[in-house]
Amino acid sequence: MSKVVGIDLGTTNSLVAYVNDGVPIVIRDQNGDALVPSVVSVSQDNTIHVGREAQRRLLTDAARTAYSVKRFMGKGREDVRHEAEHFPFRVAGDSGEVVRIGLGDREFTPPEISAFILRELKHRAEAHFAELGEVDNEVDRAVITVPAYFNDAQRTATRDAGRIAGLEVLRIINEPTAASLAYGLDKKHSGVIAVYDLGGGTFDISILRVEDGVFQVLSTNGDTHLGGDDIDVLLMDRVMSGQADRTPEAVQELRQAVIQSKLDLSERDETTMNGQRIMRAEFEALIAPIVERTLGPCRQALADAGLEPSQIDEVVLVGGSTRIPLVRRQVEELFGRRPHSELNPDEVVALGAAVQADILVTGNREMLLLDVTPLSLGIETMGGVVSKIILRNSTIPATGSEMFTTAVDNQTAVDIHVLQGERELVADNRSLYRFKLRGIPPMPAGLPRVQVQFQIDASGILSVTARELRTEIEQTIEVKPSYGLTDEEVERMLLESFEHAEADFATRQLIEARNEAESVIQATEKSLRSPEFASIETTEISADERKKIESVLAGLKMVLKSTDRETIQKWTHALNDATQHLAEVMMNRSVSAALAGKNVDDI
Amino acid sequence: MDFFSFLSLPRKLNLDMADFEQRYRALSRQFHPDYFYNAAPAERRASLEKSSYLNDAYRTLRNPISRVDYLLKLEGMAPQGPEQASKQVPAGLLEEVFALNEELDEVREQRSSGAPADVWKGRLERARQPIEAKRAEHEAQLRELSARWDATGDRKVLEALRDRILERNYITNLLAGIERELNS
Repeated sequence: MSKVVGIDLGTTNSLVAYVNDGVPIVIRDQNGDALVPSVVSVSQDNTIHVGREAQRRLLTDAARTAYSVKRFMGKGREDVRHEAEHFPFRVAGDSGEVVRIGLGDREFTPPEISAFILRELKHRAEAHFAELGEVDNEVDRAVITVPAYFNDAQRTATRDAGRIAGLEVLRIINEPTAASLAYGLDKKHSGVIAVYDLGGGTFDISILRVEDGVFQVLSTNGDTHLGGDDIDVLLMDRVMSGQADRTPEAVQELRQAVIQSKLDLSERDETTMNGQRIMRAEFEALIAPIVERTLGPCRQALADAGLEPSQIDEVVLVGGSTRIPLVRRQVEELFGRRPHSELNPDEVVALGAAVQADILVTGNREMLLLDVTPLSLGIETMGGVVSKIILRNSTIPATGSEMFTTAVDNQTAVDIHVLQGERELVADNRSLYRFKLRGIPPMPAGLPRVQVQFQIDASGILSVTARELRTEIEQTIEVKPSYGLTDEEVERMLLESFEHAEADFATRQLIEARNEAESVIQATEKSLRSPEFASIETTEISADERKKIESVLAGLKMVLKSTDRETIQKWTHALNDATQHLAEVMMNRSVSAALAGKNVDDI
Repeated sequence: MDFFSFLSLPRKLNLDMADFEQRYRALSRQFHPDYFYNAAPAERRASLEKSSYLNDAYRTLRNPISRVDYLLKLEGMAPQGPEQASKQVPAGLLEEVFALNEELDEVREQRSSGAPADVWKGRLERARQPIEAKRAEHEAQLRELSARWDATGDRKVLEALRDRILERNYITNLLAGIERELNS
């Protein structure tokens, strides 16, 4: 059986973990090092370097080396205009398009750069499993973490990165929530937890209630552009004035020295930075405004959860920047209690991701994570105003719907603009998608009733469907992400990545189609044989429906051994559709069982 | 199927919140997509739909005001469109609204002629007090009416609830307006 892992894809460092016999373990290299620096470098001969080696190349070939790419995920060229100057690499891309990162004569999208890091982690994990003597050491599935405050575009970009790296992304989960899972493992208690997560590039605060093994997020807030990087920029500004050598390599050397001083000051009261003495007090005065910026989101998250600081039972610190004493003091002051930091703040997120991956593949119901969507989802209405459809802090998965009609006679298409954010005006929110609802039957203006359904899944990612209610016509929706990759682009990048160029892609696709078909056949046969089915057969499932299911089932079995992938997929879809109603009926029957405190399998 | 019956709850307005949360957790454990990762697509889709519906039910019924709103809708007593709720001043509030609007006009005049912030802010704070008092009065009435609905199931109580909710929405908007004025 191939392996699943949990991955923390960080701004500064990334790492991978897995669960062995119920215990999450971080995977380390020969030197005992778990962290892979999130740095990618392309040498003159187009060799790709990742991690420590790439980090070293910052000092010798800075213009061909990319770091902190997480800050660019899901962003357009305009979004990063001000930031680009801090980086030695080229930030390119057309206006209105997804940002591109130029290394040498090649250009990459941020998901492609991230995919190099993910592939490095995949290889590290595979080497580890091979060393353990596992028969099948392939790592092909992963749970990847993102900052809780990431929007839909940033989440989608992260999922795309996984796909480009040849990983099936089982789930995108939020970093603070992952951390709480890792902390909750050995503590089967209940209470309210605040997770304060200040990393290299992002800040999150999440408030959770833990009860009966259910980790329920009550509210979340944050800033996806606030972290250790910003502290580094402040320190750099301070030392750059005395710096004569401004070559990219010299600047990078200075940057690494500055970062070392920052780390020193978490341990000592003074250190030297670029030859000058710097006291901790001075450092704290310098970074105070940055730490202060984390407190507003904390207060908002508390207010959204309807709680006072005194009602928080425990505070957990996550992210390397929480090693800074000033950060700890401020958090302690705000919540009035000493925060937890028993687990390594660099590793706790990956451990939690591994736990979630294990829940997904084993179906173990002991623990359950109920997360929320961090930002409200809305659509543009008249006058450039946003009408909210799913409110922030709604538990996911979540749905919302909106009715549309036409403005002129015989209009057959309507433009829809989907946004994320809390502000009233379209211009102040994040544009996610623009699409055209087509195929509306010609009718007098105002008569069509097109219901557009928005679904946010358990990874916090949006999908949209639409239906004209008068004629029951399902609409075709062309969804074009405002800043992102299309499915075709992701597929092409996957093919281009050297690992898969060699593999026989068609064969792999055929195998996947057969596996999918087999699992649908098994599930259907299991349902038809179950005692549950016998009890509903006469009342809720018509004879015609049963006959239909059986004939499609027989059909799929017949084509299963063929080598025509499309035919197999067509029959698989047909069986899915035929069994949809049955699945719903069975699901409804399990409600009363659940409320009686029983699992449906026990009945 | 409605939110109440989905959670096997009677259509009542006073909920035992500990029991409500427990039901929510039990059903989440039943339907959550986490547990259907290996299932057939039809089951995965059903799990996604049921979880989304459950979360919607939880959000709606957990809050006492949206619970009343939802009950009114279920019983066919929902206010006729949002316009009615926001534009028309409810009869029971005419006096307060009139006084507040006069006060707001004067405050704006003071501000435009450059009065110091603490002067006009103090005035706004004072203007807010009778509205706050009205809100507290409403909350008490809503609680009392809710209890009466639970005991009797009398549809006349629903009518009274609907009127209180409309007034409450109006008051909430008024208070939000003052808040905006204070922060601007």
